[in-house]
Amino acid sequence: MTEPSLETDSTRFRRTLVKVMTMQVAALLLLWWLQATFTS
Amino acid sequence: MHPLNWLIVVGWIGYVVIDGVRRAKGTNAIEGYFLANRSLPWWAVGLSVMATQLSAVTMIGTTGQGATDGLRFIQFYFGLPLAMVILGVTLVPFLHGARVYTAYEYLERRFDAKTRSLTAFLFLLSRGMSCGTIIAAPAVVFSAIFGWNMWWCVALIGVPTVLYTMIGGVQAVTWVDVKQMFLIVGALLAIVVTLLVQIPVSPTGALTVAGAVGRLRAYDFSFTLTNTYTFWSGMIGGTFLMLSYFGTDQSQVQRYLAARSVDEARSSLLMSAYWKIPLQALVLLIGVLVFTFYVFHRPPLLFNPAHERAVREAQPAAYGALESRYQAEISARDLAGRDLAAATSEADSRRAADRFRQRDAQTQAVRTEALALANQVTGQLSRDVNYVIPRFVLDHLPIGLAGLFIAAILAAAMNAIAAELNSLATASVVDFYRRWIRKEGSDAHFLAVSRAATGLWGLFACVVATFAANLGSLIEVVNRFGSFFYGSILGVFLLAMIPRARGTGAFVGLLAGMSAVAAVNFGAPSVSFLWHNVIGAVVVVIVGLGLSLFFKGGMGNGNGNGRRAVLSPAQTTEPRVAL
Repeated sequence: MTEPSLETDSTRFRRTLVKVMTMQVAALLLLWWLQATFTS
Repeated sequence: MHPLNWLIVVGWIGYVVIDGVRRAKGTNAIEGYFLANRSLPWWAVGLSVMATQLSAVTMIGTTGQGATDGLRFIQFYFGLPLAMVILGVTLVPFLHGARVYTAYEYLERRFDAKTRSLTAFLFLLSRGMSCGTIIAAPAVVFSAIFGWNMWWCVALIGVPTVLYTMIGGVQAVTWVDVKQMFLIVGALLAIVVTLLVQIPVSPTGALTVAGAVGRLRAYDFSFTLTNTYTFWSGMIGGTFLMLSYFGTDQSQVQRYLAARSVDEARSSLLMSAYWKIPLQALVLLIGVLVFTFYVFHRPPLLFNPAHERAVREAQPAAYGALESRYQAEISARDLAGRDLAAATSEADSRRAADRFRQRDAQTQAVRTEALALANQVTGQLSRDVNYVIPRFVLDHLPIGLAGLFIAAILAAAMNAIAAELNSLATASVVDFYRRWIRKEGSDAHFLAVSRAATGLWGLFACVVATFAANLGSLIEVVNRFGSFFYGSILGVFLLAMIPRARGTGAFVGLLAGMSAVAAVNFGAPSVSFLWHNVIGAVVVVIVGLGLSLFFKGGMGNGNGNGRRAVLSPAQTTEPRVAL
């Protein structure tokens, strides 16, 4: 009974982790784009 | 300010207090008062974690920093997502599973009472002081803007916050945080829209103007220990700071200890990690847009109205001459800015950018002279950066929106203060009163003591706030208080996860870590405070582990039982030991 629950928790954690890191990469790339495009 | 704006501000404060006090229902023991009976959903905890960090310092200081210094402050937060992920798989399961009230309580189970008491004491010391500065930050600005007595400004922010925190406990703090976060984000987005509408060039033109003077430079890859805002100090020093802040600071730990489960506690931290950099970028971008706005609209020579009045009265001729020069410079800068925003070819754009930079430098030179004059007249270091946004809000935002933004500044201040008061009371009652003074007592007794502790910490913070006005840059003062101890306390928690570490090793390591940070701070003051966290944590782990290994078997944990095993998350769910 415990193992499937642990697996669900860990899957959810991994999925959230991927979302978090994707958001960070997107934010950092956007900042990079702003700097590269508008800083002369 | 227009009466409608005041109505919004007063209405919001009233609503928050009533809502907070209402949450006291059903709270009749300290587990409910301090941890909401560990029943809060992850999204509410996540919003509360975010709200706690988003203080008035962020709303006033960070936006002002965006206007004067651009986006580079964002690098400070680069380590945050990584820190949240590390905490999610390490400390959060330990602390939540241990069913403790405070992070320091866990250290007694793992090490000994003296390590617990010292870390809790350091928390009370640093947070007690920083709570005062968090109230002082907006109070100083309100006092200068509205011409009120400082005591009144401190009371406006402090009294409602203390009231709902004292009566409602963590339930009130969390649910008020949730509502205030919506207000704050709404106000920030509304200000962005207003700025885009009011700036007389296209958004691309506005960004070109800001970029020409380096306001959009978010990355600095230089490796230097003396610069706080570089990619490396943010990634390395920032990760250590965030690990320490979110993993060992009771004001943060208490948020996720109130979550329903370990998984929900982890999710709440990841939610904060998800939004922090975008939200902080938005705050800084508002500052950048305010800078662009003032390229095309006449900015005041001094943003601090109190200093402006003082200089105008004391040195009318000198100030008048500066104002005339300033007027000429900003007119020239306005024209150069419009040329730059309208430039189509690359060659035109380059020439226009050079001209704009030159004009901006001349404008800044006049401002620097005015600031020096203000310092000379008032005898105070002018922190004009903190008045840029409040002046913009009051002078240029439409009726209603200005009130909304002032309410959002107050909301941000209240969120941060409430979380700190709640955690200060928790550490005082659980780690000191119930540990050393009165171990047994009824729920009603401990609840009354907890409320009294919250009220006393509130009073202390308000007193500190009235004297903290001249402590320096609003942002750095708050972080500097913590950085003296943060890294070292993180080192103790890292040691707690190493099975060979012992109590006395941890205690001596903690003292060594703080001494090392103090030595660096006074011996090499140019080293950025972000690196203090790394130094403190590393010294504690090396010294603590070294001593534990050297005196293997001979160093007990204070009760003669020798080394205690590291508690695994599963083991820590055993019934709590009596405090």
